[in-house]
Amino acid sequence: MAAELTAMEKNMKRRARRRNLVAYSFIAPNFIGFAVFTLGPIVLALLMSFAEWDGSNAMKFVGLQNFVNIFKDDRFIASLKNTIVYSIFTVPITLAMALGLAILLNQKIKGRDFFRTVAFFPYVASLVAVAAVWNMLFTPAKGGIVNQILMNVFHAAPLKWAASSSTVMLTIIMFSVWKNMGYYMVIYLAGLQGISEDLYEAAALDGASSMQKFIHITIPQLRPTTFFVTIMLTINCFKVYDIVYMLAGGSNGVVNKSAMVLVYYIYEEAFRNWKLGQASASALVLFAIVLVVTLIQFRGEKNYAND
Amino acid sequence: MKKRILSSILAMTMVVASITACGSAAEQAPAEAPAAEAPAAEAPAAEPAAEPAADTAASDEPVNLKWALWDVSSTVYYQPLIDAYTAEHPNVSIEMVDLGSTDYSTVLGTQLSGSGSDFDVVTIKDVPGYVSLVNKGVLEPLNDRIAADGVDLSLYNGVTDQVTIDGNLYELPFRSDIWVLFYNKDIFDAAGVDYPTNDMTWEEYDKLARSVTDTTPGAEIYGSHYHTWRSTIQLDGILDGKHTIVDGDYEFTKPYYEMVLGQQKDGVCMDYATLKTQGLHYSAAFAQGNVATMNMGSWFIATLIQKIKDGEYTDCTNWGIVKYPHAEGVEPGSTLSTITALAVPTSAPNKDAAWDFVKFVSGAEGAEVMASTGNIPAMTNDKIVDLIASMDGFPTDEASKEALVTSHTYLEMPANDKSSEIETVLNEQHDLIMNEETSVDDAIAAMNEGVQAILAQ
Repeated sequence: MAAELTAMEKNMKRRARRRNLVAYSFIAPNFIGFAVFTLGPIVLALLMSFAEWDGSNAMKFVGLQNFVNIFKDDRFIASLKNTIVYSIFTVPITLAMALGLAILLNQKIKGRDFFRTVAFFPYVASLVAVAAVWNMLFTPAKGGIVNQILMNVFHAAPLKWAASSSTVMLTIIMFSVWKNMGYYMVIYLAGLQGISEDLYEAAALDGASSMQKFIHITIPQLRPTTFFVTIMLTINCFKVYDIVYMLAGGSNGVVNKSAMVLVYYIYEEAFRNWKLGQASASALVLFAIVLVVTLIQFRGEKNYAND
Repeated sequence: MKKRILSSILAMTMVVASITACGSAAEQAPAEAPAAEAPAAEAPAAEPAAEPAADTAASDEPVNLKWALWDVSSTVYYQPLIDAYTAEHPNVSIEMVDLGSTDYSTVLGTQLSGSGSDFDVVTIKDVPGYVSLVNKGVLEPLNDRIAADGVDLSLYNGVTDQVTIDGNLYELPFRSDIWVLFYNKDIFDAAGVDYPTNDMTWEEYDKLARSVTDTTPGAEIYGSHYHTWRSTIQLDGILDGKHTIVDGDYEFTKPYYEMVLGQQKDGVCMDYATLKTQGLHYSAAFAQGNVATMNMGSWFIATLIQKIKDGEYTDCTNWGIVKYPHAEGVEPGSTLSTITALAVPTSAPNKDAAWDFVKFVSGAEGAEVMASTGNIPAMTNDKIVDLIASMDGFPTDEASKEALVTSHTYLEMPANDKSSEIETVLNEQHDLIMNEETSVDDAIAAMNEGVQAILAQ
């Protein structure tokens, strides 16, 4: 009896193991790629952040020295500040613009598909091309189109836009909002279409105004979408690099402290100055910031959901 | 609860993956800035590889050399150099590996850092790239070979001294570009002003540029043009031979910044901020036909000749060059230079054969090949100058030919293991000065402080 049981148990175990192996084999292709190209570099970056390494000579363990160095480097501090400023402005503005556009283009208006395409177009257009056009419109010269409008319509002084340290972040933020709002609009549109008409109908029967419907039906119903959009936007904002390089770098590629962002700093430290340790340390700081921000957002979402 | 944990883990993975994705994006981003300073020789595609000529003189074993370089299709001299070498050494075949121009130094550094690279000869694009490779310890010191083969370094006009690091030389230059002043003769003719000369002080140059300037809106003539690079202004100050760009004291740049800022204010040259954001290339600026003078490297000569021949440039066909202006009391002919050199990596499979090729390309025979393709070799003599000046499309006036003869040349960036960090500081302040965001004095103070901090590390 006992022997029979163990045989059965063995059999079951073997079967379970085989089942697991099959399951693992399904995951394997993805996981191997993830391990080699994502997990490995992450672990390596973690190690490198405590070492001094130029990519070929022997690695030297230096403890927390890299972190001390970057926080003493005013270019790092400037890039940290710029990244945060950029995110603080870009996230809510993009969110509001995307939501506004989505609501507008969810109405049954004439040429709706056309306007949706117009709003989505900047997102799919090549960054290099639209940045060049943007720089032409927002040229610091007095003859530039935007400066002409500023002077002749608003009777304001012309601005130097990307060429001035006081307006370069403004220019970058405007560009970023314009370029990315179409994408988040599409996500919001999907969210809006998922809201049941019945809710609006019931509210209308109770005599709710459209403002009340928006606040008490649309916004709560869109909460999962907003949560997703906020997280994606925040992460993307902290990762910003290309827009800064294209708009502020210009023909000589010099990005100064007024527009420097974290990822650009990491690139410069790693591949121009060959200080891989310092670059990894900054990458970890970036990681920590995004982690904390995301955790806060998760916590906020949880509290809200429990209400 | 379990679900919540699971979703948190998922979200965490998402965050991690996003961050890593950003890391790899940064790795791939091309370093366009340093590349922009590299001479871009534009010319028709290289001829197809010629078979090594049958020659009985050399009967060594066949050797295949792998040569790392950039822009194979648009650089005229690689194939002629190879042809000239293989004609003498039929047992050698040379394989070109194009690593791309924009981030060449970064790619090469990464390739040589790993153990798997098998380059025999590598081209060194600029001095900061050279220094970082030397620091990494991946280049073969050449001193012993130079001494053994009796290579005469004095033929390189002192340039090899400037790239000697701790007594060791790790590269031999084969191409050297000098900075000259390009000018559009038509503009001077129309204004009735005498052409620039080979002996001008900076004050005379400033006066000359102002005398041909016309600020009429819509019909502007710019007396001068400065590309957005730091080198076009800051480095004018090192030509008196008393300062270098890695000194840690930048007071000497002040008069040059003040001259250019004055010109910018008076509309003598185009505004830096506009040039930078519009990304106007210096060749396009000169080709518009409203730029009277422009300081630029001699690599632009080949471009100009070619584009005028192709009919692409029609408003600057009547051009000339003169020597760089000089500071009071300094011998004319002092100018900036950039070098392109060859080196042998420590990991090279065929070091002896590689060295022989390096010696050939950098030596007299290679120099003649370079000159015949319109490029200035690192090793110059009268014959080489004649070869370049006799090229079809080169200005025929005597002054333009004379302009190629230099008295002193100073590297744009001397060999210094902190050069890329120093460059970051200098670039930033240059940008702020030219955007008129800070005063010249404040910027110089910031440069001094920043560079001294780097040097003290």
